[in-house]
Amino acid sequence: MQGLSAAPPAAFLNLLLLPLGALLLPAAAAPGAERELNPSSRLAAGTARLALHYLNSREASPGALQALGQVRKATLKSIPDSGHKYYLQFTTEDYKSGENTGSCLATVLYLKTKSLPVVNIKCTRTKDQNQIQEEDNRLYQKLRHQTKPIIGNNIPDSYGNIEPALEPVWALAVVGSSYIMWEKSTENTGYFMAQVKSAKQWIRKDDFIEFDYTVLLHEIPTQEIISCHMRLTWLPGHPLKVKYFCASENQKVEDGSGVESGSAAGILHERGANF
Amino acid sequence: MKLILIFFALFGASLCLETFVGHQVLRIKTRNEEEIQKLQLLESLEHLELDFWINPSTPDLPVDVRIPANRVQAVKAFLESYGIEYSILIEDLQVVLDKEKQDMANSQQRDRSSNTFNYGTYHSLDDIYAELDRLASAYSNIVKKIQIGESYEKRPLYVLKFSTGGSNRPAIWIDAGIHSREWVTQASAIWIAKQIASDYGKDPSTTSLLNKMDIFLLTVSNPDGYVFTHTTNRMWRKTRSKNRGSPCVGVDPNRNWDAGFGGPGASSNPCSDSYRGPSANSEVEVKSVVNFIKNHGNIRAFLTLHSYSQLLMYPYGYKCTEPADYAELDALGRAAASSIRSLYGTTFRVGSICTTIYQASGGSIDWSYDYGIKYSFAFELRDTGRYGFLLPASQIIPTAEETWLGLKTIMEHVRDNPY
Repeated sequence: MQGLSAAPPAAFLNLLLLPLGALLLPAAAAPGAERELNPSSRLAAGTARLALHYLNSREASPGALQALGQVRKATLKSIPDSGHKYYLQFTTEDYKSGENTGSCLATVLYLKTKSLPVVNIKCTRTKDQNQIQEEDNRLYQKLRHQTKPIIGNNIPDSYGNIEPALEPVWALAVVGSSYIMWEKSTENTGYFMAQVKSAKQWIRKDDFIEFDYTVLLHEIPTQEIISCHMRLTWLPGHPLKVKYFCASENQKVEDGSGVESGSAAGILHERGANF
Repeated sequence: MKLILIFFALFGASLCLETFVGHQVLRIKTRNEEEIQKLQLLESLEHLELDFWINPSTPDLPVDVRIPANRVQAVKAFLESYGIEYSILIEDLQVVLDKEKQDMANSQQRDRSSNTFNYGTYHSLDDIYAELDRLASAYSNIVKKIQIGESYEKRPLYVLKFSTGGSNRPAIWIDAGIHSREWVTQASAIWIAKQIASDYGKDPSTTSLLNKMDIFLLTVSNPDGYVFTHTTNRMWRKTRSKNRGSPCVGVDPNRNWDAGFGGPGASSNPCSDSYRGPSANSEVEVKSVVNFIKNHGNIRAFLTLHSYSQLLMYPYGYKCTEPADYAELDALGRAAASSIRSLYGTTFRVGSICTTIYQASGGSIDWSYDYGIKYSFAFELRDTGRYGFLLPASQIIPTAEETWLGLKTIMEHVRDNPY
């Protein structure tokens, strides 16, 4: 309409950014302004974790898998008409051993639209690139030279045990799940890989390793256990190919009646060239 | 083989006749068919009363034979004359049997009076309940087992009371396993129970604590859920109550307390893992604790164990505003986290529930705090997501040990700061 001033007042913009009743979302002071977050806060930790899911899946390297150590610094900037951008500094640990592996600087942009979070991440590692490659190759050889396809269930089992022979299978599942978890995460919903419910290898004529997985993801803050079927192919030094389909396990009702549609019902996600 | 020994021991004992004094058990290594045949010849001589534990059949397998005392020399001479190799497995069988009998007697005695419960492994509900009984019996001067109610499926809710006397002393409440899949919490709680009991009179801190205050410990807050995680679904979190009008079972017992009930951070969908229930305290597991706390009237601290994430939290969860005692609770939380870290370097993040984990209404420590129990804390134990709920058993004791240090720090402060 004619005569309206160009920029709406700051307070109004904030209302646009804050979904109704969502005390969960941080209240940014003013558009463009930066707000320092408590490094102990869930937003900081959750966002750092998301950045690592992205890194882990993009690197497609079981030997390089990293977990969150501690968040050192976190800043939140709200971008008008766009979303929230987080600036993070955090330490990392080796996913398997828990040993410190260095630190990362990352930015994560959560867009207002329902698109994937945009992640930029740079890490300094204590683990040598050669070391990582060796581990990947070791893992690869173990999985490649199977006369019979590997089959496993409940990794880890109820008591937290992972059979040594199945460790590579588990590590590969973490890589694949990282991709799923990155795609599914939002500013307020995060994931952990809780368990590999089943794993089945497909022996291929080419060099690629191929597995069918059912993985259980633990969803925060809903506490739901999400069951995802994942098909992945892997070759060291190549990007990961993941196809997946997730259904909420809780909707699998005890009596077998009345199921609500799950979050990703009927959607197949595929990354990379066709299988 | 052990069965055979036991059988003979029992057999001998029952007949009061046969002893095996001087009987030897030889292991014979045959090299070829010829030697096998020689042994089969020996086998056929019944007057020797040889007892073959492994019969001669193929040169691939050893032959084990028990020889009565008075035949030992003769059999050995026979073997030696044909150059058949043997070694002595058992010099005197009676000695072995006597020792075994003694061991069995000792073991039974140990089970009764001392500790064979393996704290470094996960146990069934029945085993945990049996250990509660054993602790109450072994430390009957300071430990009593009381029942505060029954679960939905009618399982008893048992609390251990640690007390050195007095009448309704100020007390500390500790609970574990309200979410059944968080197995390291029930496991840590039973270890902590043993620790409190055995530390009294030895550890100055625990001793002075129990001389002034009582401790109430609920090791399995949600027994129905716990059993379900063993029998059916390891990832089960909620209670097992039936929900009217829904095929889905169970209520999240940590969304069911009367604190901001119905607010954000809890679901109204019975199929959800954070379903708050039809009303506050609808779950008997929650109501039983509420009743106990109210009836006691002198609970000064409310501490609850969860896993995972390594967090130490104080109220509030149902709202994101600071509690009135924020400064003291935060400082105490940090001190406790520091104690935890001192043992194995495990780091816990400290803060209110809302800022640290997520907004959640109907939580237990919000209720206890608003009820007037100032020192209300929730722990999230190991780990930070690598194994999550499926924490390897090898981490149970380290987790329990470090958690105990954190609890002690808080309890000492409660002891020294009566209100």
